[in-house]
Amino acid sequence: MIEKYTEIIGEDELDGIIKIAERLKDFSILHVNSTRAGGGVAEILNRMVPLMRELGLNVDWKVIRGENDFFKVTKSFHNSLQNGVGNLPDNAFETYNKWQEINANELPLDYDIIMIHDPQPLGLINFKKKGKWIWRCHIDISNPYQPVWNFLKEKIEKYNAMIVSTPIFARDDVEIPQFIIPPSIDPLSIKNIKLPDITVKRVLYKYGIDLKKPLLVQISRFDYAKDPVGVIKAYKLAKKHIPNLQLAYVGSPATDDPEGQEVYDKTVKEAEGDKDIHLLMLPPYSDLEINAFQTGASVVMQKSLKEGFGLTVSEAMWKKKVVIGGRTGGIPLQIIHGITGFLVDNIDGAAHYIIHSLKNPDLVEKIGENAREHVRNNFLITRHMREYMSVMLYVTGRTIPESLKNPVLQ
Amino acid sequence: MDLDSKGKGIPFKFYAAYYPPVYTKFKANNITELIRGIANVDKFSIFYHVFHPMLSSHVVPEDLPNDFAFWLRESLHDEYLAEVVADVEGGEPLQIEDIRKEIIELLNTSTTEKVADYPFVFISCQPIIYPLNIEARTLAEFIDAIGRVPARSLFYHFVYRRVMGESKRNEFTLWLEENFGLIDLGEKLSTIDPQSYTDEEKFRTDLLNLFEEELLR
Repeated sequence: MIEKYTEIIGEDELDGIIKIAERLKDFSILHVNSTRAGGGVAEILNRMVPLMRELGLNVDWKVIRGENDFFKVTKSFHNSLQNGVGNLPDNAFETYNKWQEINANELPLDYDIIMIHDPQPLGLINFKKKGKWIWRCHIDISNPYQPVWNFLKEKIEKYNAMIVSTPIFARDDVEIPQFIIPPSIDPLSIKNIKLPDITVKRVLYKYGIDLKKPLLVQISRFDYAKDPVGVIKAYKLAKKHIPNLQLAYVGSPATDDPEGQEVYDKTVKEAEGDKDIHLLMLPPYSDLEINAFQTGASVVMQKSLKEGFGLTVSEAMWKKKVVIGGRTGGIPLQIIHGITGFLVDNIDGAAHYIIHSLKNPDLVEKIGENAREHVRNNFLITRHMREYMSVMLYVTGRTIPESLKNPVLQ
Repeated sequence: MDLDSKGKGIPFKFYAAYYPPVYTKFKANNITELIRGIANVDKFSIFYHVFHPMLSSHVVPEDLPNDFAFWLRESLHDEYLAEVVADVEGGEPLQIEDIRKEIIELLNTSTTEKVADYPFVFISCQPIIYPLNIEARTLAEFIDAIGRVPARSLFYHFVYRRVMGESKRNEFTLWLEENFGLIDLGEKLSTIDPQSYTDEEKFRTDLLNLFEEELLR
């Protein structure tokens, strides 16, 4: 399977990955997270663990268990870390600690390197037997609810290193090394492979898109953070200059988001009376359809006001699209203004770059090429895996190969 | 020139490196904070921001070959400072502390009190070095290797080892001089300023052109 990436990343990069993996072969490695399926972490591990094994690494992946009381607590932790507001169940910390102990008794933790993903299994460090431990944080912890953060920080400091997705999520009050490793897309997944042109057209046609008109697309939930109303307002401004412009806002239902319906209703109201606006609700795992909308788009928007990382940006960039993104979260890591896309701070800016892009096809082509190259170099699963292995080399003190410790030339 | 000569018999072993980024806790919203950050971050951070853009994994505009210059223009909107910081010298014999000092001196000429649109976040790095299992024993093997090793290997031997003070000069010059006594070629290599590149393959081409001119005539 790993060889399939060669034509995408090149032999040199694959060789680098193999050489780095060679130095980890004598270690036992364990990934721990809280779910086997669903969500980005499981999606990545489902692909990455087999790839690491193919490289000859001795890698296992274990999932912690818990009952409702535990996952209610971890969900409340998750929310309070991301939005700074505490709304915890009674005895939250005691419940959390109880399930860490249960899992520590059930999981084999005697590995040489253990990578713990996200806050749910973070407390297992208190039951460390041996080895080097790395905490991989996939969420925004820049503005946490302080009591929860203090509770977790005391555990984080026991790790050998932690990893955040972007520098803006890093913490000034943590003393262990904080590596910055963005998430990634898998270029060989259904969401990102090159689709036949006819498949793209077939999907767009199915959802009522006019194949002859320019199409603006945003893929995201109906969530205030994604600014769907702002997307429609920007579209309306741009339409004054591009009269045949269409908009597809492609979302999916979020049953765990009480605000989802409210935001959807407001979006519908804003879209009223314009038959060129398509508000679509796709079921989860509509990867082929998302690929088709991104591929078929003339311009892609990700006009987020707040964003975790925004991998939909890289997904579209991989398809050589100009993406107009909000200057927030991890979007500026992906979009370098004017080079790999456009960054905007408001609706007028978004409208301006929709018009600018649609009026300048040569520019779109150039930026599209840059965008794909930028993703190729920085946001693919192979780079992600190589950087995880690099952190493993760091915590085990193997950053320099033995053969270099006595170089001939000095 | 006998390209099959082994000189003194010292082989050149090729290595390459990745530079995974690490958070430093330093940020800057204006010139004063940028100067303070540059003065206080570790040497790996200065190296990362000045030289890493040469590798293709790091996209910058072609006219602004380092992260500081890019931020000065994009976030602080100071075109003049961006241009002078873009042209800071990074060739031999300068090492990272010389470059740090030079950038601070350039920034100290500014009187702007502007606040940036977005902060400069200082990143450091933790180099991970790996052997390529490629060795050159003759000039012929060396030229061939320069043409085919990953660009990050050229960068490691020519830039990283020298600017970080881990070797006295770029390692290509060292080897050509020590093993073959090729002083002129070594000196010509030393005049190449890696800081001015934003394209690793352009850098490789310039190295190969120099070898062609000097060794294949």
